[in-house]
Amino acid sequence: MSVAFKSGIDDAVVEELRAIIGDDGRVLPNMSSRVNRTRVPAPFPVHRWGEYMPDVVILPRTAEEVSEVVGLANRLRIPVVPRAGGTGLSDGAVALRGGILVDVKLMNLIHEIDLVDRTVTVGPGINMLKLNEELKRHGVFYPDDPASYPCSLVGGRIGTGGWSLIGGRFGHTRENVVSLQVVLPTGEIVRIGEGGGRKLRKSSTGFNLKQLFTGHQGTLGICTEATLELAPRPEVEFAAFFAFEDYRTAWETTGDLTRSGLATLAGVVLFDEWKIAYLRRDDEAYIPQPASVKAVVAVAMYGTRAEVEPASKVVMKLGRGRGGRYLGDEISAGDWASRHDRYATPLHGRSKDGQAVMMSWHCEDAALNYSVLPQVREEWHAIVAGFREEYGIFDDWGMFAYTNGPYKPWGDYLVEIDVGIWEQRLNDENWDAWVRCKRDISLVTLKYGGSITACHGATREGDAELVPAEMGSSWEVVKRIKRALDPNNIMNPGKQSLDQAYEDGGVA
Amino acid sequence: MQDGDQKYGLDRGGGDGYDPNGDGELQRQFVEQWRTNAYGCFSSGHKFCREVCPVMQVTRNENHTPTAFHANIVAMEQGLVDVADVADDYVHCTQCGACELRCPNTLFTGDFYRHRTRTVDVVKAMRALMVDTGNEREGWKVWNERLAERHNEPVLGDVPVSQEHVADWADGLDIPIGGETILFVDCEAAFYRTSYTRAFAQLLQKAGVEFGLMREQWCCGGPAAEMGYVELARKHADHNVADWRAVGAKRIIAPDPHDYIAFTEDYPRYYGDDYEFEIVLGVELINDLVKQGRIRLTEPVERVVTYHDPCRLNKRKGVHAAPRELLRAVPGIEFKDVDHVTQWSYCSGGGGGLPVEKPEITEEISRRRVARAQQLEVDALISACPWSERPLSQAGASADEPLEVLDLFELVARAAGIEVGGHAQGPVQEARP
Repeated sequence: MSVAFKSGIDDAVVEELRAIIGDDGRVLPNMSSRVNRTRVPAPFPVHRWGEYMPDVVILPRTAEEVSEVVGLANRLRIPVVPRAGGTGLSDGAVALRGGILVDVKLMNLIHEIDLVDRTVTVGPGINMLKLNEELKRHGVFYPDDPASYPCSLVGGRIGTGGWSLIGGRFGHTRENVVSLQVVLPTGEIVRIGEGGGRKLRKSSTGFNLKQLFTGHQGTLGICTEATLELAPRPEVEFAAFFAFEDYRTAWETTGDLTRSGLATLAGVVLFDEWKIAYLRRDDEAYIPQPASVKAVVAVAMYGTRAEVEPASKVVMKLGRGRGGRYLGDEISAGDWASRHDRYATPLHGRSKDGQAVMMSWHCEDAALNYSVLPQVREEWHAIVAGFREEYGIFDDWGMFAYTNGPYKPWGDYLVEIDVGIWEQRLNDENWDAWVRCKRDISLVTLKYGGSITACHGATREGDAELVPAEMGSSWEVVKRIKRALDPNNIMNPGKQSLDQAYEDGGVA
Repeated sequence: MQDGDQKYGLDRGGGDGYDPNGDGELQRQFVEQWRTNAYGCFSSGHKFCREVCPVMQVTRNENHTPTAFHANIVAMEQGLVDVADVADDYVHCTQCGACELRCPNTLFTGDFYRHRTRTVDVVKAMRALMVDTGNEREGWKVWNERLAERHNEPVLGDVPVSQEHVADWADGLDIPIGGETILFVDCEAAFYRTSYTRAFAQLLQKAGVEFGLMREQWCCGGPAAEMGYVELARKHADHNVADWRAVGAKRIIAPDPHDYIAFTEDYPRYYGDDYEFEIVLGVELINDLVKQGRIRLTEPVERVVTYHDPCRLNKRKGVHAAPRELLRAVPGIEFKDVDHVTQWSYCSGGGGGLPVEKPEITEEISRRRVARAQQLEVDALISACPWSERPLSQAGASADEPLEVLDLFELVARAAGIEVGGHAQGPVQEARP
C-alpha cells in the first residue's frame, strides 16, 4: 500500500537522501516506517491517520548527516520534522505537512563523562534511565525526571523544554543543559551555550541563546549533541503523602510546604478529588482510604542524610499542620517510586453510563500561579463535564498541580487536568468537539494570567492558535527570530502559529 | 476484557489458509482477533516497553518496538498497511516477553481488569499470517522445510541433525527408553551443546531419579510456532504427545526453558483438557534435589561468576529464584548477582528465530550482554538455557578480553564430582558415526 507524498519529495530526493545517509536501511520511505512515526501518546484522530504521516524517515548517526539533509531540505523547500522518543503529549514530533522526519534514536552514544567539571556529553537519542544506569557507578546522575523517564529521550526533552518531577530541587531540562550542538534550519552546525563556553553554567557574553534553543518545539533546529549537568547521586530520598478532607486545606498546606525554605524539597504534588476518584477505580493504594479523603498532597526531598533527615521532620509537621493525615511509609514510598507509571491507564476509561472502555490520555499542562488554582480547577472541571455530557466520549480523570519553578518550589505550578478520550469513537465531529474543549480549557488559563503549556509545547490545534494571544507584545519578536533563522519555513512547519511569520505583513 | 479462551492462531474458516489473491480475508480475521488487545497498547502509547526491548536497544528503529507491533494492527484496521508492509517489523523480536512485563497496563491495572498486553502472542500470530499469505521469510522457510523433513530442528550451521542421532548425546549413560518419567531433550541441547544435556541427565542419575527417553523424539515444535509455522508445530506436538502416551508417561522433565514454554503454553492450547502430563522444569527439579540432599555438591568450583537470567525463565515464567539458589549452593563460587528486574532488559538474542533471520542483531545483543558481565569483573557468565549459551559463548570468545560462558547444570555437575563429557560448542564431526 502507499499514501502519496505530501511535500516535494520524489524518488530523486530519496536517492539524494541515500547519497547522504548511505544505503544501509537508514532512509525509509516505506509505509510501515511512516505509519509508526505519525503519532505521539496524546489523543490522536485515528480516522485521519494518513494526514499526519511524514513522507520519508531518516535515521542519522551524525550531526554532519543531519546538516546535509537539512541543507537539502532547505534548498528544495521540504519540511523537516525532528523526532526523538515520540513520547511527547503534544505534536512537536508529528509531521503536519509531510516531509522528512529526522528520527535521532540512533544518535544515543555517551561521548564523554567529565567527573571533574561535572558534565556528561551525549547524543540526543539517549534515554535518561539508560544514561543514569551508566552514570550510577560514578556516583552521579542526570536529574531530569519526567513521568516519561523510562522512555523519553534527551533530544525531545530539549526540544520541548521539558519539566521534571524533581525540578524544584534540581532544575528542569533547560537548567540541566549546559550547552548543545544544533543544526540550524539552513543546515549550519552551531554550538550554543553560555557565552562561548561548552561547560560553563553562567556567562554574560553575547546573548543568552541557550534559552532560545531549549523549548522551541523543533521549530528552530535539531539538537545533535548535548552537554548535560551531572549532579551528585542523592544519599537519601524522602517522600510523604498526606490526605485531606477538602481541596482548600490541601491547597493551603501545599503553599506552606513550598514556602518552607527547605533546600532539599524537590517537588510538591497536589491531587484533587476527581483524581482521587480516578485512582480509586481500581488502585489498591487508594481503595483502602476512607471516602472522606478528597485531596492528597505528596512531597519529595532529595539530598544528603545530614540535610534530609532533619528536614523531613519539618515536612511532617507542615503536612499535618492543617489537619493533613499522613498516609504511611508504604504508600508514601511506594507511590512516589511508581510516579512514572501510575497516573494514566487506558483501562480506567469510563463511558457516560459507567462502562469500562479503553481511552487515551490528554494531559493539559498549563503554568499557573498558586493564587488562582482553586478557581481554575472549578472552571476546568465544568468545561470537561459539559463536553462529557454532550458527546459521551470524554472522561474527567482529575487534576494534579505540581511545583513548576526550577530550584524554587513556590509561586507557580504545572497544572494538569487529565481527560480520557474514547479514540475508537472519534470522527470529524467528535474530534472538532475535542479541539474546542481543549481550547476552552486554554482560554481559562489565559484569563487567569497563565501560560497554556508549561512543558508539552503548543503544537496542536486547540492551543497552537492561541500562542499569539499569549505572547502578546513579544509575538513580533518571536516571528522575527523564526523568519531570520528559518527563512523558508521548513523546520517543523505548522506549529505554534509560526506560519504567521511568513504571511504578508507577518513581520512588522 | 481479554478473551482468555481464544484459540491460538488463526481461524482458517475451513479454507486452506493460503491467500494468493490477497483478498484480505485472513488479514481481516487477524485484525478482528487482535484489535482489542492492540488497542490497549495503542491508546496507552506510553512506550515504557521500548528501552527494555533487546532488539530495539540495538536497532533503535521505532518499527521494531512492541508499540509498533500493536499500532500496525490498528493501522491495518484503518486500511493504511497490509501484511506485506509490516512483515519485516515482526521479524525483529526474540519473544523474550520483557515488553509485557514493563507494560503499565499490565503492571498497574492488569490484575483488576484481567488484562495482560499480549505482545509475544501477537508476534507469533502475525508470523503465522505472514506464512499463510505468502509473506514468509526465506531463512525461516528453509529452516522449517528441514524440520518437516527430519523432525528435528536443523540447528544453526552445519551440525548434522537426524532422528538416527537424536540420542547420541547419551552415549554410555545407559538411559532406558520409556517409563513414567520422560526426559525431553531440546534439539540445540541434543545436537549442539550436548554437555548441557549430559550434565543434567547425570545429575538425575546421581540423585537416583528414574527416567527414560522417548522412543522417537521429535522437536517440541515451539520454534516452528514462534516463526509462524502453526501446522508444522502442531504436527510435532501431536507426535510427541502420542509417543509419551505410548510408553505410559505421566511426567515430562524439560531442562530447556524453550521446551518448558512449549509444554506449558502451546500444548495446553492445542489440547485443552485432553493433556494429562505433569511438566517439570529442570532447574527447579535439580535445585530441589540439592536442597533435599539427594545431590551433594562437594567439589569446590573456584570461580567468580554472574548469572544470566534466560528470558524464558525470568521474563516469561517468573523463574529467577531457583537458579540463584542452585548457584549459591555451589561451594567455592563467588557470585556477583544482578537482580532479575534489571535483567528484564537483558537478553542473548538467541530466541524467537532471530538468529536465523537476523544473526547480526543476535550477535550484537550477546556482545552487549557479555560486556555488562565484564563490568562486574567476573571470570565466567553462567546461563541456564542452551539457546542463549551459543551466542553468548561466541560473544565471550570474541571479546577483547574473552569471557567463558558456562551452563548452570554443567557447573553443578562439576561441583557434584561428575565428569560430564559431550561438547559445549557443536560436535566434532569425525567423532560421529
